[in-house]
Amino acid sequence: MIHVTAAESDAVRAIEAEAISSRFARGWHCLGPAGTFKDGKPHTVNAFGQKLVVFTGEDGKTNVLDGYCRHMGGDLSQGTVKGNEIACPFHDWRWGGDGRCKKIPYSRRVPLRARTAAWPTMEQDRLLFVWNDPEGSKPPADVTIPVIEGASRDDWTDWRWTETVVHTNCREVIDNVVDMAHFFYIHNSFPTYFKNVFEGHVATQIMKGKSRPDARREGGGEGPRMLGNSSVASYHGPSFMIDELTYHYEGFDLRSVLINSHYPIDQNSFSLHSGIIVQHSDELPPEAAEATAEKLSSFILAGFEQDIEIWRNKTRIDNPLLCEEDGPVYQLRRWYEQFYVDVADIRPEMTDRFEFEIDTTRPVESWQKEVEENLARREGASA
Amino acid sequence: MTARQDERLLDGPLLPVRCRRCAAEVLVRKASWEQTSIQWNAAARASCVSLGDDPSGTCPALRSAIQEAALTGALRVAG
Repeated sequence: MIHVTAAESDAVRAIEAEAISSRFARGWHCLGPAGTFKDGKPHTVNAFGQKLVVFTGEDGKTNVLDGYCRHMGGDLSQGTVKGNEIACPFHDWRWGGDGRCKKIPYSRRVPLRARTAAWPTMEQDRLLFVWNDPEGSKPPADVTIPVIEGASRDDWTDWRWTETVVHTNCREVIDNVVDMAHFFYIHNSFPTYFKNVFEGHVATQIMKGKSRPDARREGGGEGPRMLGNSSVASYHGPSFMIDELTYHYEGFDLRSVLINSHYPIDQNSFSLHSGIIVQHSDELPPEAAEATAEKLSSFILAGFEQDIEIWRNKTRIDNPLLCEEDGPVYQLRRWYEQFYVDVADIRPEMTDRFEFEIDTTRPVESWQKEVEENLARREGASA
Repeated sequence: MTARQDERLLDGPLLPVRCRRCAAEVLVRKASWEQTSIQWNAAARASCVSLGDDPSGTCPALRSAIQEAALTGALRVAG
């Protein structure tokens, strides 16, 4: 039994929130499907508090440079791809993917110091990643995004990808890793098992859930009945989450991989992406799998909208008041902080393994009751 | 960013539990019989041999050691 002293119970709990750091996380950030950037045109990407230009040269390599030309400040993302270089629309200065000025057509030679900021890029599973590092170091070999098994296989669907701009700091989306209860109240899910593991640069959420009969749409009862789902979702670094998500139906399982990723635009906004692929099976031949992927994609997007509505109205809080059935918010933020400090300042507690399993007895009891009440109310209304 | 403490630890701190298989010592808190927090350090992590296959699992030997500590009262179960 936890005893609350009179002094503690009388004191008003203040919400605390420090100013948001001007620094952006170190790590790989996904900019979306790589194909988007291979149309021979430059693309504007607002990320990490600045404007970037993303372009693919004739050699097929996709490059990310600072958006502004070092000559007179022209916007390179309004320029033209010429060969393997991006040409500024203002005076045709040509910049290579390594950040060096390769040519100034009207000048005999390129001046010294003609170098701009270039971000390391990586293409994997048909997605484009960019490495952000405030210290300017190259991406270490052991800080990788794992290859996604189904992403390059014929028996899985293609990516269904969505992008949404969200006007809040990206810590809000990270907090969801440990927030079991919001899945019931915001997303119409019913978690029955919930565990987190943080270790190194990976933060994992293991969740099992059952379907919510009170959330099923009227008349949506066609096809096989969904019983529940099992999900193992890991952030690999500060922004890229791979969720191995299996839906359990009467008689078969549906395997999918869900990506939940983002990159910061500035301190108060980020670009939130979702991607999904679904495995074909006997029960789910290619065409049906494509249709399912499409349906799941809009379902995920609807889930994002539910989060966004909360974020739009909530306040930032550094000192959340937690009950024992909440997840490890403080330990998650301790893990997340490793991406905002210099590598030399990463403390062991930020990366040491931490496991947290929630006791779901009480939540399940309470939610079961609420589901039954909702069903009874619905029956009463239709009777 | 100031490092903040999970205030739930004020009601029941993390306590050391030693695994019998590899002698790794971790810090554990149980808010109830079904809730468990496990804080590892580098030395304990290096000595555990059971975590290889499933990175999101809990070492079965450690799980038994925690259960035993909870049953004997060496680890106080809050709530």
